[in-house]
Amino acid sequence: MTLKGRIINQGEVTAEALVLSEPFSFIGDFDPHTGCLNLHGPDSGEVEVGGKVLVIPTGKGGTIAPWIAYEAAQRGKAPAAILCQHPEPITCEAAITMDIPMLVSFDKEICKCLRTGQKVTISGDQVITEGD
Amino acid sequence: MKLDQLEKDMLAGRQGPGKQRCMEILVKFGEAMGAEKMVPLFSAHTMPKEPLGLLAELTEGVDEPGVFTTLHPTMSAFCLRNWREMGIPEEFAQKELPIHRQRQEVYERAGFYQTYTCLPMLAGNLARAGDCVSWIGTGLQLMTNSVLGARTNRDGTVINLASAIVGRTPYYGLLKDENRKAQVLVELKDMDVGAMGPAELGAIGYWVGFKAQSLNVAFNNVPELSFDQLRYLLPPLSVSGSVPLCHVVGLTPEAPNLEAALGGASPEMVLTVGPDQLAEARAMYASATPEADLAVFGCSHCTISEIKLMAHYLNGRRLAPGKRLWVGTGYQTSELARQMGYAQTIEKAGGVFASACVATIPEAPLPGESKVVSTNSFKAAHYITHLSKGRVKAWVDEMPAVLESVLEPEGRA
Repeated sequence: MTLKGRIINQGEVTAEALVLSEPFSFIGDFDPHTGCLNLHGPDSGEVEVGGKVLVIPTGKGGTIAPWIAYEAAQRGKAPAAILCQHPEPITCEAAITMDIPMLVSFDKEICKCLRTGQKVTISGDQVITEGD
Repeated sequence: MKLDQLEKDMLAGRQGPGKQRCMEILVKFGEAMGAEKMVPLFSAHTMPKEPLGLLAELTEGVDEPGVFTTLHPTMSAFCLRNWREMGIPEEFAQKELPIHRQRQEVYERAGFYQTYTCLPMLAGNLARAGDCVSWIGTGLQLMTNSVLGARTNRDGTVINLASAIVGRTPYYGLLKDENRKAQVLVELKDMDVGAMGPAELGAIGYWVGFKAQSLNVAFNNVPELSFDQLRYLLPPLSVSGSVPLCHVVGLTPEAPNLEAALGGASPEMVLTVGPDQLAEARAMYASATPEADLAVFGCSHCTISEIKLMAHYLNGRRLAPGKRLWVGTGYQTSELARQMGYAQTIEKAGGVFASACVATIPEAPLPGESKVVSTNSFKAAHYITHLSKGRVKAWVDEMPAVLESVLEPEGRA
C-alpha cells in the first residue's frame, strides 16, 4: 500500500510504526529522557517512541514543545519520523528542529491505514508498506 | 518562498552559521505553513530556558539579534537574585545556575535584553497596533494580539528564537488580516465586570477558554477595564484553551465595535457568561481552608499599581512563621517599588520579589513545605497544581484573602 502526503521535513527512513488514536504533545505525553510515551487511556503503557515512525491524528501542546523534542533528539530518543493527518504548527516545528522526516495531510486517513508494529518506508512524499 | 536579498544572504551563510541555521528552520517551517514570504519584525521576546546546544548552534557568529529582543521571566520560578529567599530547593538551584550563566554569556555577547518579565511592553518593548512581532509565552501572545493589537503567531520556542536572531518570520496565520476576526462571541450579562478583581476576571477567562479552545474570541458588553484588569481576564483563555486572540469590543485596537471584531461575519459560537458560569469556574479553585503555606502574586507580572495596593495592605503586618509570599514582577518594576518605598514594606512583612515565572512553568521547584498555595491568578493556580502533579493544592481569591492566608492575624503581629 502507498499513501501520499505533503512534505513538512524531507527524509528517507524505514522503521516500525507506532499509531496513536489521540492528539499527541511532546509536553506531557512524552518523556524526553526515556523516549517513551507518557499517556493515559487507550494508548498508555511503556511504549517507546524513539526510533519509531510516530503516526498521529494531529498534534497539540505548548510553545516549549520544540525544546523538549530537541532534548530527546540529543539523547538519541527522537522518533524516526512523524506522520500526521491534520498538521498544526507546534508539531511541525518540533519535527524541523529534530530534523526528522514529517509528512502530513494524507490522501487517506493515515491512522486507520497503518497499524502499530507494521514496517513502513518513507520516501519523498510517499509512505509505503509491504504486503497488503 | 520568496526571499529578499538579505534573507538569501543569511540562508547562504553569508551572515554566519547561526543565522544560516535559523533561516533554514524558518524557510522549512514557512513552507510547511504555506507562507509566501518572510516579514520583518518590529521586535522579539524570547524564553531564557534554551537547551544550551541549540542556543549555541543558533547564535554561532551572531553579534546581535536581527531585531530588538527582550527576555521572558526566568522559568520554573527560579529568580536569579532571590531564589534562596523564595525557598527554591538548593539542589535545583545548583543545577540551574551554571546552565543559566552560560545562557547569560550568550545574551551579553549577542545583545538580548535581560528584562526577565512576561510584560515586555512595560520594559521598553512596546509594539503598537499592526506591528508584526514574535513574542513567546501563550498568555503574552494573547495579550499582544488583543490588548496591543500587535501581531504574533503562537510561535513555539524554536521558531521564536530563530525569528529573533534573523529579525524575520514567515508571513502566515495571525500576522494576516483575514485570520484575526473573532469566531466566538462572548456576551457578559448580569455582572458588574468593571468592579471585578483578578480572581473573578480570571474565572471568566478560564471558563471561556474551555469552550473556545483554539478559536479567536470577542468579549461584548464589557465596561471600561484597566490594563491590570485585562491582564487577569485574558491570559486564562490560553490556559484552559489555546485562544490566540481576544478582542474586547470598545477597548482593544481592532475592535472599535462588534462588527469590526467579527470582521463582518457571523460568529461560529456564541457564549453567555453570567453569575452561574462565574460560580462554576470559581468552584474549580475554591479555598478549602482560609490558610495557605505560600501566597503567589504576579501571574502575569505585577504592575506598580498592584504592588502599591499590596504594600498598603501589608503596612505594619507580618507573615506568620513558616509562611511565604512571592511577588512576581520584573526587576524594572521592583526597582520602582523600592524607589517608592513599597518594596521595603512588602519585604519587611516577609514578602520576596521574583523576576521569574511564578506559575513555575515548566518544572515547579516549589519549597518542600509548601503544600497549599493561595493566589489571585487562575493561570498560576492551574499550572502550580498541574506541574506539581497534585503534591500542591492551589486556591484562587482576591488580594486581601490571599494575603490574610499567610499573615499573622491582625493584632498579634
